[in-house]
This record gives sequence, structure tokens and C-alpha cells, in this order.
Amino acid sequence: MNRKKTKYMLAAVGALVLSVPSAFAEMRDWTSKDGKKLQAEFVGTQGAGNTAEVKLKLANGTIVNYPVSKLSELDRVFVKSSLPSDPAALAAEIDKLVLNKLRESYYGLRDDLAELAANKDLDNADKAKRKEEIEREMEMCKPNPLTTDEQFMRRIYLDIAGRIPTYNEAAHFLDSNDRNKRAALIDELLDTEAFAMRMYNFFSDLLRVREGVMMMANGDLKVDPYIEWIKQCMKDDKPFDQMVRDMMTAEGHIWDNPATGYIISDAGMRLCNVSNTFTIFLGTEITCAQCHDHPFEQVKQIDFYRMASFMGTTETRAGRGGMRMMDGPSDRQELARMSKILKDAGKLRMNDTIDRTIQDVMNSRRTLVNDTQNQKVALPHDYKYDNGEPNQKLRPAAYFGDTVNLEKHENPRAAFAEWLTSPGNPRFTVNIVNRLWKMAFGLGQIEPVYNIPGHLDGQAQNYELLSFLEALMQDVDFSIKDFLRVVYNTKTYQSEAETMTPSLTQVDNGTYHFPGPILRRMSAEQLWDSLVTLTTDNPEGMVRRGWEEYRELMHTDTTKLTTLAQIEAYKNKFRNIGRGLSNGEEMMMDRNAGRVGGETMVRASEMAQPQRPGHFLRMFGQSDKNLIENQFTAGSSPQVMALLNGTITNQVLSSPDAYLIKEVIYGPGRKGDKVDKIFLSVLGRMPTPDEARKASSGMRPSRSRNMSDRDRQAMEVKAIGDVVWALVNTREFMFIQ
Amino acid sequence: MKQDLKDQLNNLDELSRRQFVARTAKTALGVSILPLAGASPKVLAAGGGQAEHCIFFYMSGGMTHIDTFDPKPGTETGGNTKGISTGVAGVEIGHHLPGLAKRFKDIAVVRSMTQKTGDHRGGSYWMHTSYQPRATIVHPSMGPWAQTLLGKAHETLPDSVVIGGGGNHPGAGFFGPALAPLPIGDAERGVQNSELPRGVDERQFDKRLDLMNSFDEGFRSKFKTDEVSAYTQFYDETMNLMRSEDLETFKLTNEPDYQKKLQDYGNSRVGKGAMLAKRLVKSGIRFVEVQSGGWDMHNGIDGAMQTTGGALDKALSSLIDDLKAEGLFEKTLIVLGTEFGRTPKINANSGRDHHPRAFSTMFAGGGITGGQVYGKTDKLGIAVEEDPVDPRDFNATIAHALGLDLNKVVYAPSGRPFLVAGHKRDRATDRIITEGKPIPALFG
Repeated sequence: MNRKKTKYMLAAVGALVLSVPSAFAEMRDWTSKDGKKLQAEFVGTQGAGNTAEVKLKLANGTIVNYPVSKLSELDRVFVKSSLPSDPAALAAEIDKLVLNKLRESYYGLRDDLAELAANKDLDNADKAKRKEEIEREMEMCKPNPLTTDEQFMRRIYLDIAGRIPTYNEAAHFLDSNDRNKRAALIDELLDTEAFAMRMYNFFSDLLRVREGVMMMANGDLKVDPYIEWIKQCMKDDKPFDQMVRDMMTAEGHIWDNPATGYIISDAGMRLCNVSNTFTIFLGTEITCAQCHDHPFEQVKQIDFYRMASFMGTTETRAGRGGMRMMDGPSDRQELARMSKILKDAGKLRMNDTIDRTIQDVMNSRRTLVNDTQNQKVALPHDYKYDNGEPNQKLRPAAYFGDTVNLEKHENPRAAFAEWLTSPGNPRFTVNIVNRLWKMAFGLGQIEPVYNIPGHLDGQAQNYELLSFLEALMQDVDFSIKDFLRVVYNTKTYQSEAETMTPSLTQVDNGTYHFPGPILRRMSAEQLWDSLVTLTTDNPEGMVRRGWEEYRELMHTDTTKLTTLAQIEAYKNKFRNIGRGLSNGEEMMMDRNAGRVGGETMVRASEMAQPQRPGHFLRMFGQSDKNLIENQFTAGSSPQVMALLNGTITNQVLSSPDAYLIKEVIYGPGRKGDKVDKIFLSVLGRMPTPDEARKASSGMRPSRSRNMSDRDRQAMEVKAIGDVVWALVNTREFMFIQ
Repeated sequence: MKQDLKDQLNNLDELSRRQFVARTAKTALGVSILPLAGASPKVLAAGGGQAEHCIFFYMSGGMTHIDTFDPKPGTETGGNTKGISTGVAGVEIGHHLPGLAKRFKDIAVVRSMTQKTGDHRGGSYWMHTSYQPRATIVHPSMGPWAQTLLGKAHETLPDSVVIGGGGNHPGAGFFGPALAPLPIGDAERGVQNSELPRGVDERQFDKRLDLMNSFDEGFRSKFKTDEVSAYTQFYDETMNLMRSEDLETFKLTNEPDYQKKLQDYGNSRVGKGAMLAKRLVKSGIRFVEVQSGGWDMHNGIDGAMQTTGGALDKALSSLIDDLKAEGLFEKTLIVLGTEFGRTPKINANSGRDHHPRAFSTMFAGGGITGGQVYGKTDKLGIAVEEDPVDPRDFNATIAHALGLDLNKVVYAPSGRPFLVAGHKRDRATDRIITEGKPIPALFG
């Protein structure tokens, strides 16, 4: 079940002081990191992660605690093998830390309330107001009740698979009598294709993955390999730190090394790329320091330029004149030669002399990540501080974390990647756990997630918990799957959503302590993918067409393309990269692939990245992928109009081809099950008796004897369509309870 | 809650406002910050502030200056465009614009626009926002700026609308989606999804709503979060909008004498856009942008000018007449802008290429003194010779006409300061001040 079970071991379980069978209890020699020795009997462990302690019984019978992190490597291995390996136990530890904080906060507020009466600085009106605030906050310090299976199921599907469950999936889970079925479902979902799609949506917002990165000349670079690489990393559960190192150090063309997509995204904007890297991977906003010393944080303008200098020798473009084929003609000559063949055959626009597709091919060849000896970053021409000169070039250096030894690395960029992802970097792990926590709970432990302060203690909502999560992530070797497995197994996650909105003061002062997740509106992708789920029996059945042909095309020796037919065939193939869908086995270039009721209904991750403006996804907040975390979940009138009057709710979901309609009309089961099926499919729950009555009265079309079967069925479809329409328009559908 | 927020915002000094905004973003709960009604008064100085509305014609692709407002007949760069008299001594404009030549006393032409970017996206972004594109932020366009600085103009209608826009409009930028201009793809089709779909009548619609409300009752009474309430409010507001007179304003065909007006405005995209813009402005919408393409004239410029230039001439001329007839001309600023001009040298394909060094724009109505030309290019139209105007000055001029405070600092959620017409640091005071300056001559 858990192929990485053993990885959970170091994040020790605090509450469970493990009793070791006495047969194994014996005096042994313990050595600390700095070489001190001690003879003692192993009793158990306490605490977790980097604060875990080992309990040792000395010869005189006293029991002492000693930090696991300070033990020698050998002793750590000894202790490690005695720790439990169950995600459930680690989840329980998180719950304990959450509960501690809720309790502490509750008593603190109760004291505040008691002192309020005696407060002489406030008048009665202010006191009443303050009392109300305190009472509201106290209410939010009580853990929410556990979710029902229905609530849990819908939420976990949306969080892991990125969509609601299909009718069959829902029925299967709810019917199961397995006591362990929640944990089993978590494990099952984490290994699906759907999980990779969901996480791709998360990362593509963070990394700004967009099709068509503009090249320095005109035209867009096709980035399909990068898109698929991110999904593959999720499928393979590539350790996150490794994934980041791959992106930061990738060299070459995107079709040979898809991870180059990250650096290429900011081609021509070197300084922005540095700022973005800090925001994305360290949760640190240093853009200010590009122009002046940071007003609040300890970061000077010169620090920014020292950091930027790590990337100062990295280029996204081949040297002038383009990459030459060995002894062959230049790209420019090739472009002219092929364009002339097309021109002579009358295949170019009247006044054109070069072919734009071939030009794109040549520009793509010139777009590659490579390192030079030439430092391009220097202090700005109007640098005004005393610690540097205008236009001065700097030696790359980090202003926090480990000291970087440039000599040890192939180039400054590699040194930077190492520094960025090193355990010695105080923000790298915190950043990713904080972002993943926010994904699961709707609010980070530290907000805003892109601005993690230098000192965490007192800033994080729950410092102990955050430290635990940080250690957990390191202990699971940056496996996002294993980290999430623990988080989703917590009771905290499996509690009902908060019914109130935390106040700004609560968020700001860090006094919201997660009695349950925040009630979240579905992301645009979750919403869309859920609608897809209502229209097809296999929502993950249609995927983007692969990009293998891209590599092949870009490795083709174009000098061999000498005839019109060869050149046109080549152009055609190039243009089709990234277009079309695949059902997993064959390419579907047909325009009708994936279409239901006139719309292409395939998962958001398999469609254009991002969708065109005006598409349902963009209207509901899909990021335009120009900025980091640019998605939104705020409402608008155009959204409401799209749900009330648009094609999705009026043509697609009520199309006779839609899975839900077919399942309801033709699927197995009694007639009376129809309403249950609709409710279970759309809201993931059974209707109340009252709702069932209302829905079925709506579904009973007038039956005239003269009506043909076809008309009768059309009426039934229409009536079912009304109920589906109404359910999709509820807030209950749109929010994650 | 809403009123509270507004009051809080209004009472805050600059630094606390910045913290407040950052904190609001911090909650990341999705409910956008509310418009700051009455946040600051209009600036009425120096002839500014007379415009209550603005119709911004954006000619995307790069409008040729030599074939429109800055003709160079008889020179080696003049091409086949002749100059025609405007009634103002010594001023001619291109012969593709006869209607505007006749109405020249109402318009002011700026011939000394200049900027640095020769790519469409970058140039368009700069013209719309006063800032160069960055990978770390999106700057807002003028409509949302006006809403932020002046407050909302109308209770139910949006403050800004973009007609016929493409995908690269910066919209509300960091102000967030709540202030985003309402997009209208096709002037004739009005607001997307605003009418009941085919085959659904009022009765069925009401039945569906009834079902929706009863199914949703339990959820809504349990979860009283701001976000859920906001959605419920959006449903109510949208329903009101759908049933209100307001929506009527978006229906172009309801314009009195529609067929005749269609002839006057020209049966073109830009013509219909202009007509719809007039309707929207009349209903109280503050900022309407009409985007119109076809200006990227790399080949066959004479033919292209006949259609594209001719359509623009009819649209603008009729709009001026119409606004005057409705008594709206004096309070409606008309602006014509584009990302860059086109090369004076005519290329091998009888077209002109991108030329950011010099181009023309036009202003009318809303307090603008017509019958004048500002700035000058050299005799071949290559470079600006007098009074250069860059995109920040261009936006400062619009902002000034609308009465916006050019020196009002607004902080993005990340805490970075921005101004409506670009910013720089004043060396003397070390304060952030406007980079763009309005063109005083245009305000008489």
C-alpha cells in the first residue's frame, strides 16, 4: 500500500512514547554528534521531526531526554528503526499540535474575556464589540466535528483528483464497509492520473506554465515537453527538491531537456526571473530590492544583485548567428532556401518572402539554455548607495542560508541551485509545506505565502506545527505524495469546513488555528473538471497528444528537405505539435474529439494552457499564467450569467450524450433512484426527503398518450436537465465543504 | 461589513493603507476589495476634470501616422496619401479622413508621440498602463484607475467596458478581477449570456431558480462566510441586471433610428463599437474602450487605409455629431491611441513596418480645446522634432481630463507603489511623483 512506508520513520511521534519490548532493552553506548559518549538504556522517543528526542535510562535509573538531531549518525539509524512508520500516526501528531494550539488559544481568549470587564480604557460600546469578537474567536477555537463520509469523499476527490467523484466512484466508496476506507481512498487517489493533473494545475499556476513562450524574435516557442514533464514528475513522485534542481540547472533545448522550460519562461527578463525564483521557491518577495534597499526586510539592493549574479552567466539564446549545423549552412540561409522553394510554388502570402512557420522552427533552434563566461548582471547605472559603484559587476553571493562556495560548482547557476534547495536554506522547505498546507486547508500557516518573514517564531499560525511539517517533508525526502498522504489522513483535514470567515486580525495575528479547513470555492480547474466529470464516464480518458514528434522534428536535418512536398509535410507536422488529443492509444486530430453538447469537455490540464480569455475556465479564475499564483476565486456577474444562461449548464450537461443524463436514464437501478443518482453525481450526497420530493416533481413531465417515445424521452431529458441546472447553480456545488 | 471596509480604507493614512491592502490580500479568501467610493475628489485644476466619461479608441496593430494625422504629401515618404484642408491655416490631415477634417475645430491632434518598443504586445501594454511589461506584476489600465481614484460611477453598471478587445488587455491588473472591465466581444451581440438561452422561457427559468434556492437552503444557512454571501449577492445582482433597464443599454439594435445610424457610423466593427460606446456613456458608464484592428499594414497600405481609415473616419465623425446632439460632447473625452506609428519608408510590399519613434494620437471633447495640432515630426515623419509626448504623458493627459490625481500613490498588494501615469522618485523631496505630464496646450 505505502511503497515509501519506511520514509516516515524519522518524523517521530511525540505523543506515543514507545515502549520497547524489554528483551531488547539493554545498556549500550551512545555517541553525540560532537563525540560525547554515554551509557544508557533505550526507553523510547518523544517529539517529532527535528525536535524529536530520545528517552534514555541511565544506570542510576534516571531517564533523560536527548535531541535525536544531536546524535551520531549511527545512533540516529538505531533510533530510526524503532520509530513507527504509519502515516496515520504522523497525522495524529499533527492533530495533537493543532489541538494544543486551539486549546492554548481558547484559554488565552477566555482570560482576555475575563479581563475585559475591568478594562478602564474602553467604553461600554467598545467592550461589547470586543466581547463579540472574542466570543467569535473562541467559537473558532473549538475543533469542528468530523466530516461525514459524503463530505469527506467529495473533498478528498476535489483535493487529490481535482474533481468530484463520478457516480460510480461515489457509490462504490459510500457502499464500502471497510473501516479503513478513508485511508485506502487517499492511497488509491494519490496513485491516479487525476492526481498528476490536479498537481499540474497547482504547479502551472505557481510556475506560470503557458503555451507559447515568446521568443526574442517574433513567434512562440512550443513548450509541450515542459508541460508533460511537470505531470510526469507528479506521476513519478519525483522529490520536490530534485525537481527544482532539475529546473534550475537544466541546459539545452526544451525538446531535449524539458526542465529548461522554467528558465525559458522568463527569457530576456533575467532580473525578473531571479525575483520569481525567490517568490516561487522561497516564499520571499525581493522585487523591491531590484530598485532600492528593502524598506522592511533585511535585504539590500546590493544583495539582490549579488543573488542575481548567480544567474548572470546563463543565456536563453544561442550565440549570434544561430547554432550552425556542422559545416552546414546557417539557420538564416536555411530559412531563405526553404522559403524560396515555397515562394516559387506560390505558397507564401503575396508580399511575403519568408515563411513564418519555418522562421519559428529556426527561432526555436536558437532558444536554448546555456552558460557562458560572460557576467551580464551589474549594479544599475544609477546605483546610489555607498557599498558599490554604478554598473559594477559583483561576485555572486547569498545573503542568507549557507555560504556558497563557487569553486565547487560547474557554474554559478549550479551553485545557486544547490544553495536554493539545500537543507541549510531556512525557507526552501517551509515554502513548499506552507503552500501545500494552503492547498489542503485554504489558508497557509504563514500568510501571505509569498512573503515568509525572516524569523518564523511568532509569525506562523502555529510554529510547532510548521516545524513538524518541515521535518516531515525532509524525512519523506520531499515526496509530495507522502507528505500529502499524512496531511489528508489528519482529523484536522477530515473535519468539517469552517462556517465563518476568519477575520483579518485573526489571519494577521496568526490566531486562526484550523479547527477544520476553510470553506473554499473550487478553483476554476476543479470546477471545470467537475463539470467534465458529469459529462463523461472517464474524465481522464482524453489527454494531450504527446510531443515525441517535436524532438524528432527538431533533430531533423533540414538540409535534406529539398522538395516542396517535403517542406510542406515538415511544416504541417511542426504546426500540429501540441494540437489534438489522444485517448491514450491513438491520436484524435478530429475536431469532435472530446466534444459533448458542442463544447470540448476534457480536463483543464489537457487543454490550452491557459485557456483563451472568455473561456469558462478563465472567467472562473484560471490564471493567465503571466504572474505567479494569478488564479482567483472571486465571483463576478459574467460567471453567474454563464451558469444561468451559458452553454455548459444549458447544452452540455443536458445533452443526451452527457454521461450523467445517460446514467440516469439508462443506467441500472430503479426508477426512483434517479434523483439519488443526480444528487450523488453533482453534490456527492443523497437528497433529503424534501429535496427528493421537489426534484422528482420537477422530473415528472406531463405524459400525454399521444406523445411518441422520442418526445417523451426529450421531455425527460429536459426535466432532468432542470434539476442538474439547479444543482450546478447552488453554492453547495461551487464550494468545497 | 462592506461599509466598514470602505470607512476603514478612507480613514487610513498611506502607510496603513498599504498594510491594510497587503493584509486583505493576505487573507486570500477571494472576496475582492470593494471599490473606494469617493476616495478622493476630482482635480479640477488647469482645465482638467471636465470629462465625466471617456471613450478610448485603441487602433491595434500600429496606426500609420503619415497616412492619417501627419501626412507628408509630395515627399519621398508621403506615399499616395494626400493632405486635405482642415480649415485651420497651415494644417492638413490625410485624405482618408475627410469627416474629421470637417470637424477639425473640435479635435486636437498630437503629432509628437514617441516610445521605445517595436513589438505589439509591449507597445500596447505601455500605452494602456504607462508601464513597461514585467514578469512580476500586471499594471492596471485607465478605466480601473479611474474607478480606484474616483469611486464607482454607477450603482449597477460596470465602470469600464472593453468592446472588441483581444486577449492581451491588462484589464484591472493588480486591482483584481472585481474592477476588471466588462468585455464585450461583438458590439452587436452585447453582454455574453445576458439573455435566457434558446428554448428556456421565463417560467422554466423561474422553476429552475426555485429548485436551486430550495436545494441550496441548507448549505447557505450553515455556511455564512463572506465568500458564500458574496456569491449569493452576485446571483441577486445579476438577476437584477438581467431584468433591469440597464441591460437595455447594451443592446445596440435598440438605438433609435438604428438603421440610419448604422449608415452614419459606418457598418463596420469600429462604427458599431462607437455607437455602443455612446449608448454606454449615456447610461453613465465612465470608461469605454473600443478596440479596432487592421492597422498592422505591412503590405498594400493604400487599399488597407481605404477600408480601415475610412471606417475610423465615419465612426469618429458620427460619434462627435451624436455626442453633441445628445449634449454629452463637453463631458465626454474621446481619445484615439495606438501602440506605434509606421515606417516612413514604404517597404517592398507597398506597406509600412513598425515605427515607435514617431506616431500620432487624437483627443476631442471633455474639455479639450479643438482645432489644434500639438508637436511636430521632421519633414519625412521619421523623428519627433518638437514637444515629444510619451505614453505616460499620453495617459497623464487622459487622467487630467478625467480629474484624476496624478500624484496619488496606490500600492499593489505586494506593497510596491504605482501612479496612474507612471512614477519616478523626486530627487529634491525623495517622494514618488508622477512621471507623465499632461499636455497643457490641449486644455486651452
